[in-house]
Amino acid sequence: MKKALLSLGIGLLSISLLAACGKSASNKPTSTKDMRVEVIAKGFQHDFWKSVLKGSKQAADKHGVKLNFVGPKDETAVAEQLEMLNNAINKNPSAIVLAALDTKSEIDAIQNAKDKNVPVIGFDSGVPGAPKGAVKANAATDNYKAGGIVAQHLYDAIKTRLGKGQVRIGIVSQEVNSMSLSQRTGGFIDKMTKLLEADPNVGKGQVAVIGHDKYNNDVSTKNAKAIIELRVPAEVTDAAGKTEAAALLEKKDLIGIYGSNELGVKAIINANEAMGDRIGSTGDKVVTVGFDSGKLQQDAIRSGKFLGSITQDPIKIGYDAVDLAVKAAQGKKVKDVDTGVKWYNKDNIDDKDIQALLYE
Amino acid sequence: MAQTIKKAKIKSTESTYTKITNAIGLQQIVILIVLILIYALFAAASPAFRSGNTMTSIMDASYYVGFLGLGVTFVIITGGIDLSIGTSMMCAAITGGVVYNELHAPVWVALVVIMVMATGVGLINGILVAKFKLPPFIATLGTMMITRGLGSIISNVKTETFPLRGSANGWYKSIFRTDGNFPTGVILLVVMAILASVVLNHTKVGRYIFAIGSNREATRLSGVNVVTSEAMAYVIAGFFAGLAAIAYAATYTTIMPGTGAGFEMDGIAAVVVGGTSLAGGVGSIVGTFIGVFIMTVLKVGLPYLDLQPHYQIFITGFVVLLAVYVDIYRNRKANK
Repeated sequence: MKKALLSLGIGLLSISLLAACGKSASNKPTSTKDMRVEVIAKGFQHDFWKSVLKGSKQAADKHGVKLNFVGPKDETAVAEQLEMLNNAINKNPSAIVLAALDTKSEIDAIQNAKDKNVPVIGFDSGVPGAPKGAVKANAATDNYKAGGIVAQHLYDAIKTRLGKGQVRIGIVSQEVNSMSLSQRTGGFIDKMTKLLEADPNVGKGQVAVIGHDKYNNDVSTKNAKAIIELRVPAEVTDAAGKTEAAALLEKKDLIGIYGSNELGVKAIINANEAMGDRIGSTGDKVVTVGFDSGKLQQDAIRSGKFLGSITQDPIKIGYDAVDLAVKAAQGKKVKDVDTGVKWYNKDNIDDKDIQALLYE
Repeated sequence: MAQTIKKAKIKSTESTYTKITNAIGLQQIVILIVLILIYALFAAASPAFRSGNTMTSIMDASYYVGFLGLGVTFVIITGGIDLSIGTSMMCAAITGGVVYNELHAPVWVALVVIMVMATGVGLINGILVAKFKLPPFIATLGTMMITRGLGSIISNVKTETFPLRGSANGWYKSIFRTDGNFPTGVILLVVMAILASVVLNHTKVGRYIFAIGSNREATRLSGVNVVTSEAMAYVIAGFFAGLAAIAYAATYTTIMPGTGAGFEMDGIAAVVVGGTSLAGGVGSIVGTFIGVFIMTVLKVGLPYLDLQPHYQIFITGFVVLLAVYVDIYRNRKANK
């Protein structure tokens, strides 16, 4: 026991002694050459983030600043991302670019950055609910608006099939906690509900939303003319996503389905392969729409299995975020940038301006 | 530790060198030196690493791994394993969140619920392994999946957020870090480590846990109630998973459903790096404590070298292998 305590004591003492040796370095460089920008993404392995990284690098090269780009293993790794953020702040960078998985868990750290006068730039889903004045500007997609655009395209494709009994529209959403996905899903649900309620074959109070407390309404599914059913996988894996997509595709009254990001889209494609082509863009197939890109999704659009998808501009998101970060670090005034979205289908997928936004 | 000392007494053939190293606990000293070396390396490589804030980050990252590691040390010494601690920790934490957010109970009630739930999962593990003789790997694999699903069921697949620092109910956060950024959690961690060390080395249950790990059958034949003692190891692991859950909630605020898988391995790796043998019968709390800090210093330190996360995991794997090899090599040499 004595030596146990002794070792503990020695360990702690040496740690604290070593800790005391250090002093924080200054973080106010004058030229961009001495600047370093820490970028903390929400992921790393997804193609989307690779394109964001590409854009970030372009901006870093243009300004001649040092860039460090990290991201947690998946979008549930809240603890991992907070540790990355703490690290970034401790390194006294010129600016931090952040896409928060969960602002509440990171509020202390963000406050800390603010106290140290390190400007924070939000990107992708940004840092919603951050302490006032901590986040200088955002480079992001308006996901709510984008979700509505998807709903409009899907509605146009299915409206002739309304009024012949109960119909169902499915959504596979990776999760509904982050700002970006909850808005894409919410934007879709709100717009679709509005369009269906305005349709003479459906009508007001005839659209039931089910699947998650966050969006459910009180319309009973029994008599509703249309059901919007949201499915959220139990965990963030392709396998769990596929299970949920398959559960939707099993339903005979399903006429449309929407995957709100790359995982959701993959889930639909994988489930469809296992059950003999339920999805398509015409006839009696389940009309399918998506979000983001990726190889599988692009193939599905070219082959007509998908009606179309919305793409963000990941390279522009990465570029604008780092660009804003450098400007904020120079003390310039910065404001939010909407990085925009585009609808693409099999007619325009190979256009040059669309291809530039897609990633595999 | 107690075990190695006992061995030294029985074996008359052992050299004076081994006797000395056993007496001062060479194993702990070696890994302590490794820890200091790793720290010094990062401190030399990066001026920012030497700041007090970094120390706070290291402490923040160490709490849940530390509690998981301390608890599972008991199980590993019995020769068993507990794969459920990570998910049962998150299951307990998210349940605490539901109690606070949905049932509007005070925070302390939520914390008590967390402790009861995690300890309860430990008790179930103990009964499955000690009483029903299920292999520990299988039993805890089962409860790992059960707790992972249960957390999602209880929370209705919703993220639970604990009260923020500075809000009316944010006091529990100060258990682990004061508003002035002082890592008070380390005091709790040390106190619990000392307590665990006392239980392991100076109580009947602790001695029986070592004995079960060395030779279960012989321990049973000598009249020890192995069922109770073995089950106790899992209950202790569960109790510490509860502490880990509270530490996690206080440090990270948000608990997402379906998470926690993999956290058990962080704890188990710290135990193994600390010199506790997966074969059972050998192990120490001090070793685990230092092992925890080796893991967290690596985790917090590697990003200062601007390495991407996948390189960090890659390097951490090597450190685990190296630490375990050094330990095995030393043991082999000592037993010659």
